[in-house]
Amino acid sequence: MIVFSWYRGSNEKWLDAYKDPVASLYTLTQCITLSDVQADGDWKLIIADLGTGTFDMKLKVYKGTNLMSENTIIDLPTGVETFYMDTHEPRTPAIAVASGPYIYVYKNLRPYFKFTLPTLEVNPVEADLWNQVKEEKINIFVLREMLEGMRAEGTVLTVRSLRFLQLQDITDCEAFANLYRFTPLRRQTVITSLATLKKSHADEDAISCLVLGTESKSVYVLDPEAFTVLTTMELPSVPVFLSVTGLFDVEYRIVVACRNGCIYTLKRGTTVTTKNCIELNSQPVGLQRINKTIYVGTMDEALHCYTSKGKKLWTVKLPASMTTMEIIDYKPKGFKAVIVALSNCNVHIYKEKYLVNIIKTDDVVTGLKFGRFGREDGTLIMTLRAMHRTFQRDLYLLRLNTAREYVKSLENRMNPISSDPQEPLKLNATVQGIGPMFKLTVNLQNTSLSNPSTNLLITFQYDDKLYAFKNSFIEVPMLVPGLNYAFETYVECQSDKGISDNVKVYILRQGKSIPIITGIISMPCTDVEPIANVKKKNQDDF
Amino acid sequence: MDPLFLAYSYFRRRKYQQCTDLCSQLLEKNPYDQAAWTLKTRALTGQVYVDEVDVDEEGIAEMVMDDNTIAQVSRPGTSLKQPGTGKGAPSQGIRPMSQSGRPVSGFVRPGTQGGRPGTMERAIMTPRTAHTARPVTSASGRYVRLGTASMLSTPDGPFINLARLNFAKYAARPNLAKALFEYIFHHENDVRNALELAALATESVQFKDWWWKVQLAKCYYRLGMYRDAERQLKSALTQQEMIDSYLYLCKVYVRLDQPLTAVEVYKQGLEKFQGETTLLTGIARIYEGMNDMDNAVKFYKDVLNFDSMHVEAIACIATHHFYTDQPEVALKFYRRLLQMGVYNGELFNNLGLCCFYAQQYDMTLTCFERALSLAEEQTLADVWFNIGHVALGIGDMTLAYQCFRLTVANNNDHAEAYNNLGVLELRKGNVEMARAFFQAAMVTSPHMHEPHYNWAALADQLGDLQSSFNAAKRAVEAFPDHVDSKELLKQLRHHFSLL
Repeated sequence: MIVFSWYRGSNEKWLDAYKDPVASLYTLTQCITLSDVQADGDWKLIIADLGTGTFDMKLKVYKGTNLMSENTIIDLPTGVETFYMDTHEPRTPAIAVASGPYIYVYKNLRPYFKFTLPTLEVNPVEADLWNQVKEEKINIFVLREMLEGMRAEGTVLTVRSLRFLQLQDITDCEAFANLYRFTPLRRQTVITSLATLKKSHADEDAISCLVLGTESKSVYVLDPEAFTVLTTMELPSVPVFLSVTGLFDVEYRIVVACRNGCIYTLKRGTTVTTKNCIELNSQPVGLQRINKTIYVGTMDEALHCYTSKGKKLWTVKLPASMTTMEIIDYKPKGFKAVIVALSNCNVHIYKEKYLVNIIKTDDVVTGLKFGRFGREDGTLIMTLRAMHRTFQRDLYLLRLNTAREYVKSLENRMNPISSDPQEPLKLNATVQGIGPMFKLTVNLQNTSLSNPSTNLLITFQYDDKLYAFKNSFIEVPMLVPGLNYAFETYVECQSDKGISDNVKVYILRQGKSIPIITGIISMPCTDVEPIANVKKKNQDDF
Repeated sequence: MDPLFLAYSYFRRRKYQQCTDLCSQLLEKNPYDQAAWTLKTRALTGQVYVDEVDVDEEGIAEMVMDDNTIAQVSRPGTSLKQPGTGKGAPSQGIRPMSQSGRPVSGFVRPGTQGGRPGTMERAIMTPRTAHTARPVTSASGRYVRLGTASMLSTPDGPFINLARLNFAKYAARPNLAKALFEYIFHHENDVRNALELAALATESVQFKDWWWKVQLAKCYYRLGMYRDAERQLKSALTQQEMIDSYLYLCKVYVRLDQPLTAVEVYKQGLEKFQGETTLLTGIARIYEGMNDMDNAVKFYKDVLNFDSMHVEAIACIATHHFYTDQPEVALKFYRRLLQMGVYNGELFNNLGLCCFYAQQYDMTLTCFERALSLAEEQTLADVWFNIGHVALGIGDMTLAYQCFRLTVANNNDHAEAYNNLGVLELRKGNVEMARAFFQAAMVTSPHMHEPHYNWAALADQLGDLQSSFNAAKRAVEAFPDHVDSKELLKQLRHHFSLL
């Protein structure tokens, strides 16, 4: 779901421009960007769609309100940026999509280059284990045990080992190990955040470097032409939000919000990061910077403002928890503000600490972007959490789970109705009585049009300490289609403890061990205390 | 520490087993220690104590061989056996009926599932959701099992040998008699001896103790002597007004099938004990039983005014709103239950349904998923059935079919699922399969009108007018206001008369 609203300077702050409730986009602020990708002065909207969250990920480019191009992304995207990578005319920027350990670069809306993050060192013990598997010195059980031990100790394992440990079935494990044991073991990390940094000129269309934060707690700066790592910086925790200013060749600042709830500032040439560290009270939800002030939204429903030195200026309490935040930088009016999306379906705009405007939406906003779109300077783009999409995703899952359960019940022949067209049978069983003697009636019906069923048997599975069947094996005569046949037997409850159990009825074909259909009967409890004499007399009656 | 003091402490902390063990030791040393003897009696009773006022299920004997009935055909709205026309309640086509011809309740209590069966065969058949056969008579083993009493008790013989007890001696000593009575009544479940003791005891206090009168009434009630119980309770109430006595008296009237008198008595009780939720709940239950939903909901709301955490009231109001086309309101009530800490499959199932019908689609399937993971074997079938309904709502017939099949796999006599499977098979054109499913539904739940009508309509199309006529008649019997069945019947009659 996507809403476009255009900024106007008049009394009416926003003008609803376009709304598409069935765009079925699932995206976040980091995955939306606006850029003039064709150098024709008509700015496009570029969105990395997370699809269902597991598959169907797409890079979508909108021209105005129309979808212009669509590229499939293999893994979940974590960030989208556009940057100028050369000085060629016309000045068309490239699109960088961060996804897994890769950065996919698109030029002219076509795939151009794939950058892979440098691999990390593999734990020597783990590497040795897989080597031994390769040489067939140890079997998969030993491997599994050793890996599990390593994981329990807190060793960081490779993706392959983790996947191997996830497998439940022994045959799956074996197949997995056989398939992968000859490929070299590698440990890759994953990109968590993506930003750009101008290289040597501050012009709008100057060449930019890519700045990436990774799961291995480091920040890389990439050269835009050669795609080599220019600088690597280590952090105490995993970076999640990046905000970059300055020029790479002169002086720059990278403000990084990390998963440990701290914000670090990285400068050119720094190696020690703990200086100027801002410690937050809660996890950060968004990080933005206007000039020299840093705005951080946190999970405790607050918006904080800090100086670049790390001094706190003010805190605003928000009415609901924040979902995402974005900067409004409207150059024609010189207006800079922070825009915050809240979980109560409101979007607040803060000019410094003053709330200046509220936009109400139909649903919770997950992605925000302000910038130039088409030929309009001030456009705000909001993507909403689509209720319908959630439902659709859940529905896929439910269909899958239902189908699984259904197959399971078919495999176990647990159904009282046969799904085999060769054996069209239906069973239902009733129990009558108050105990300890019950009458169990099995109703069998041939549901076919004209084929009689022959050679069938009825048998029961029960706890012989609890129940005694008078007839635990019944031979079924030929079943004429469409008629209901009732077969009866007496069941005696042997226990006086007032407990009951399930009894299973199997319909079998002579000479086959797998039942055609199964019925489960939950037996009622006995109500009368069995008295020896009465019991005897009853049995005589039968 | 003094062992007797310690035993008392255990008793107060409800550690009955430790208390009993300690008392046994004391009694071994001194068999005539009355304090220890009384305490042990009370501890043993406490282990198996069941609140007499609430737990009640009519046995087969009471129901089928009821000789208290005054009029076989009572005026509508005055009897629980023939519930009224349904003031303020949605029609049977919308709110499903239980076997008794009463709308399903929002809260499963003893007796809400089965209802009064018409024939002996129905009576001994296991009702679907309750899944145990009903007790033969309520004076039988059922009570013993509810409290898991004497059957599993002491290895070295019973604590008190009732046969050798001189009741007259104990009856004269009120401090021992009350504990002894409760022991006989609850632990030994020996109503006859309990009655004898109570009769002697009430005599020895010159009929001045209301407590003994209530106990006498309890015994009479168990023995099915309702009029005697009524007399004792009324007498007890003139001496001392107690909530318990009111509740018991109403229970007697309900058993005598005089719901209006019972409501009267409840209201008398409310004058004395204003805002007593047990009394208010009692009235609401009776109105619910008489199919008078307007009044039932009114009283449940009264209950909530005094006790906003009353689960039964919240659940019943929610169900009422759900079936009167206000799923959003029902959702609010169910969410309240969730906030209160009720966390089970049934609740999530209801939440899922409410979300679906209130068009809050993002939560619907999550709720059902939760319900599936929390549900026990018996409720699992119902959860699948409801997911099947959601699938029907979104037009996914394959999913619906699978869900209903899973329902039947989990519960072999889920008549509603059989009926729906029949309709789905019919849409696919498998007439024989459809017929088999409708028949299965008719056999397992004859009180439902849907399978009868469906089969009647199908048979009519197939040209089997005789079966169609019979089935349509049964449908009208189950649901007298069902327009389609009546139309079909009229058409068939017309057809027959032409020939």
